[in-house]
Amino acid sequence: MTQKMRTGMVISGALLLVAVAAWIYQLQEGLILTNMQNSYSWGLYISGLAFFVGNAAGGLVLTSSIYLFGVKKLKPLARLGALTAFANVTAAMLIVLPDIGKPVRLYNMLLHPNWMSPLVWDVIVLNLYAVAAAVYLYILMLPELTGRLGWLAIRVNDPHAFSERWARRIAPVALLFAIGIHVVTAWIFSTQGARDWWFSPVMAPDFVSVAIAVGTTVVLLAAALAYGTGEQYQEAYRTLGLIIFMATCVHLFLMANDLVIHAWYGNTETHRIMEIAWGDFGLAHLFEVAAPLLGAWLLTRPQVLGSLPRLLTGSALLIAGVFVHRFLIMPASYNNIPMTLTPFGLPGNHWSLPIASGRLLPGTGTFLDHYAYFPSLVEITILLGIMAYAVFLVLLAIARLPILARENR
Amino acid sequence: MKMGMVIDLEKCIGCRSCMVACKQHNAQPPQTWWNRVFTPGSHRHLTPPAKGVEFFLPVHCQHCENAPCEKVCPVEATYKAEDGAVLIDYERCIGCRYCMSSCPYGVRQFNWEDPEKAHARSEYQEKYHYGYPEEHRHQGRLVYSPLRPKGIVEKCTFCAQYRDRGELPACVRGCPGKARFVGDLDDPDSDVSRMITSRNAFTLLPEKGTKPTVFYLPPKAKEV
Repeated sequence: MTQKMRTGMVISGALLLVAVAAWIYQLQEGLILTNMQNSYSWGLYISGLAFFVGNAAGGLVLTSSIYLFGVKKLKPLARLGALTAFANVTAAMLIVLPDIGKPVRLYNMLLHPNWMSPLVWDVIVLNLYAVAAAVYLYILMLPELTGRLGWLAIRVNDPHAFSERWARRIAPVALLFAIGIHVVTAWIFSTQGARDWWFSPVMAPDFVSVAIAVGTTVVLLAAALAYGTGEQYQEAYRTLGLIIFMATCVHLFLMANDLVIHAWYGNTETHRIMEIAWGDFGLAHLFEVAAPLLGAWLLTRPQVLGSLPRLLTGSALLIAGVFVHRFLIMPASYNNIPMTLTPFGLPGNHWSLPIASGRLLPGTGTFLDHYAYFPSLVEITILLGIMAYAVFLVLLAIARLPILARENR
Repeated sequence: MKMGMVIDLEKCIGCRSCMVACKQHNAQPPQTWWNRVFTPGSHRHLTPPAKGVEFFLPVHCQHCENAPCEKVCPVEATYKAEDGAVLIDYERCIGCRYCMSSCPYGVRQFNWEDPEKAHARSEYQEKYHYGYPEEHRHQGRLVYSPLRPKGIVEKCTFCAQYRDRGELPACVRGCPGKARFVGDLDDPDSDVSRMITSRNAFTLLPEKGTKPTVFYLPPKAKEV
């Protein structure tokens, strides 16, 4: 293990412990420690779910590229892809826990699942994808599970052929679950007819495109940090950069397509959505468009892919832009009260029924029709801790398991 | 038997007695209101939004037939009673708040902290407890408790604790204008059914397809 990796593990491990402490504190006091309230009932944690689910797509891109489209040059990165997928999909499940008011009752999901609920579908598909990513990673590592790690290996005659055969068999199944996690996570939002901002058929395909962009960026970032930017990796990196750029363009197209259609028709609900998405959050919207586009464009440039600091900058821009995009899932929904009507005798008036906050908010009334949400320190700490968990897990696996090519260990 | 409620906006004087009766009888924690009465079009209650235009709108759970909250609940904590009332099992709810997001009417309320702490935070008189004093079970499931568990969602039950004894909900009994009616929607001759057909009853947000069982009768004249 290098000194840098050790430092990374200490920092991420410490952050994770702080987040666990923050969660225990929140378990004692309740979600009063967050800045959510009744009219703004999901915040940073659920944005985090969408963010981590997207990051987990790297495994899908690599597996399908290698085994379904025959892009052999990506093969050295396959294990890294499966590992980042596993780390992020488990992070996605973990970030939901602090959002749950009574996490000790989660067993009810097993005892009394409501098969109509997209949340139940999401829990199923996230777990299946986590298992698939873990099994896939194991199959890929199998030929090198020797010596100190020999006890981990199942006994087969020809581990290399076995690994190749089963990786090829698992690939299409994993691909199905992989697309499933993005589609079903999007459905949690887009099935809500109450919320005009979410109630759109474009949300699921958009989630897939964002995920392909950001998930591939996560793999590229991890590969550049692990292997560096040497000439022998440039061909693989260029392929990843191209995938990232195309997926980002598709994502921006889908997003703009949705906004243009709504803005063109221009009903009152849409005006309200636009006021929030382009008005209150205009700068953030600019960032969610410009940062991924610039980042993705940079990652297609050979001179960027050949330099670690530049590659890190491009990746950071894209990931930060997608994070802001995930944060912006909430405001235009929760600051747009569904219970809005045109009162008798006032045809030009659109009036929203205020919602009881459910918690004492000094400086505001009990009934709200607008709320400026910004996450609390506890919410931010827990989110950072879950990010740290994903980093810690990846570093730990790289240190202990045959993740990287032999010459880089 | 499909229970329904009719609220006559012609008779509603906006006094908020139903809000208070509901809050008190159901021991709602501070800042939690199952029932809200506002003046549509106006940012200040009981203030006409325009000269000669004023009516009042009470809104609580609409006990929808096609209830999104029931469909999204991952653990079937939200369920329909045999008469169509939408209830929450306080012992089953995991507090994911998916139902709050999916409800178009904004009637669902979360317990962000322990109710005792919420009382202290809002400077309620110490050891003062209001509301129906006992837990209530409907079909064996806990649908009311005077002190709510922290981290669960709650909302209007149509006063399950009273209806199960054959009594009317607190908002119906507490309305000085007698603007609220409860009855059987399946029976075409019931008072509520006849009011719905003869008085141009409407529901809130019909375009959302939730099929509420709470109906409103439009005000005939404006109060000035």
